[in-house]
Amino acid sequence: MKLNSIKHIFVGLLLSFVVVSCNNDDDMMMDDDMMAGPDFSGTFAQVDHMGRPGINTVLGADGDAKDAHNISIPANQGAAFQMAYQERLEALHDAYAIALGLTAEDVDYEPNILSGILGFDVTAEILTSVLATDVLEVAPDAQTVYFDGSVPVGFTGRKLQDDVIDISLILLFGGRDGARFNGEGGLPQLVTDGVGLTADNITTTFPYIGSPE
Amino acid sequence: MKKTTKFFTGFGLLALATGIFVAADHIDAPASMGTTADIADYFAFEPTMGSDNTVFIVDLQSNVVDGLAYGTFDEDVLTEINIDLDGDLTEDMVIQAIPRNGRMYFFGPVTPNQTGLNSQVLVDSPLGDVEISATSAITETTSEGVSFFAGPRQDPFFFDFFRFNEVLAPSPMDNSGFNVPGEDTFDGANTMSIAIEIPNSMIGEATGTNVIGLPVYKTWITTNRKQ
Repeated sequence: MKLNSIKHIFVGLLLSFVVVSCNNDDDMMMDDDMMAGPDFSGTFAQVDHMGRPGINTVLGADGDAKDAHNISIPANQGAAFQMAYQERLEALHDAYAIALGLTAEDVDYEPNILSGILGFDVTAEILTSVLATDVLEVAPDAQTVYFDGSVPVGFTGRKLQDDVIDISLILLFGGRDGARFNGEGGLPQLVTDGVGLTADNITTTFPYIGSPE
Repeated sequence: MKKTTKFFTGFGLLALATGIFVAADHIDAPASMGTTADIADYFAFEPTMGSDNTVFIVDLQSNVVDGLAYGTFDEDVLTEINIDLDGDLTEDMVIQAIPRNGRMYFFGPVTPNQTGLNSQVLVDSPLGDVEISATSAITETTSEGVSFFAGPRQDPFFFDFFRFNEVLAPSPMDNSGFNVPGEDTFDGANTMSIAIEIPNSMIGEATGTNVIGLPVYKTWITTNRKQ
């Protein structure tokens, strides 16, 4: 077993504490056994972060911004990243405008399908404000689902089978009915990537994901 | 990895050289991508409708493209599930996982001694441990009803990532968006999973709310490297 001097010192301190405070040999042996366990000492510094799927990947402006996001904390993320996410969302719309032979001003983000559910326009600023704070909301007392227009709850978790890419595309590009840019009428298909869950990826019992391939 | 191995090899080099990033969080940013601490994905859900438990699954590393670290949990990498109960976006409870000598050790859920970017292992709050699995899943369940797993699993994420990169850069010659059906880039890929199922009563009451007003835990995961 690998031991280091810090642990030796700690064991020494613990043993002297036990000797001073307690005459029960069993207790001392139990504590001794615990100290024979692994060494978990040290300070660990954050290198990666994730809340919702794909947010940093899709809306992060560039490599530096994505690195900065990974070593940030949620309480600061809105102020740090919202504006850049909004610009990126509009830039993606502009890119399609130009590719379709239109001008950038002709194609903008349109308040999305949540507008009807929430009763107010979910503007690009509101949407990116929500997304910039990169946390996954999980309801302890409600059905868990990332978002599904057919289910009366949403933003309550993320199941393995939730099609988070399609949901994200619908929220970013789908407009009020969720079907804007649906590949029809000369418009691009931007509300589904056309793939679904592979059945053997998941199981019904813990740990709920399939054996490696 | 099936018929696309060659293509993946080329793509892997390209990804590492040029900084192409893969969702959900797989190789998402230059500093962490392809390392043993690279978060691939994160799920949190109730195991069955109406259950009083929550399942957290953290996927680290991925072999979706060649050239990435994959296959071994790094003993210098501490994984944390951060849980904000009151909606102030600061963690109130933390669950930790860290490997030692072929086992994954879990700590918490407990209020951390410090919030933010630096952590210590919460050694005063051991939760349990489980042997790191090979192909067959080895699980442990405590008397409190907490279940643990750590080991390689199929990467359950699905996404036509190659087409996505083309969709991001449309041109007058290619402006049709995604293909339907598309091709799942992640079919055949594996990841290193850490799974924990835990009674909500051990986490605490959610008083923060989501955008539609339901009480929710606001959660995020981090990987943290020993300094």
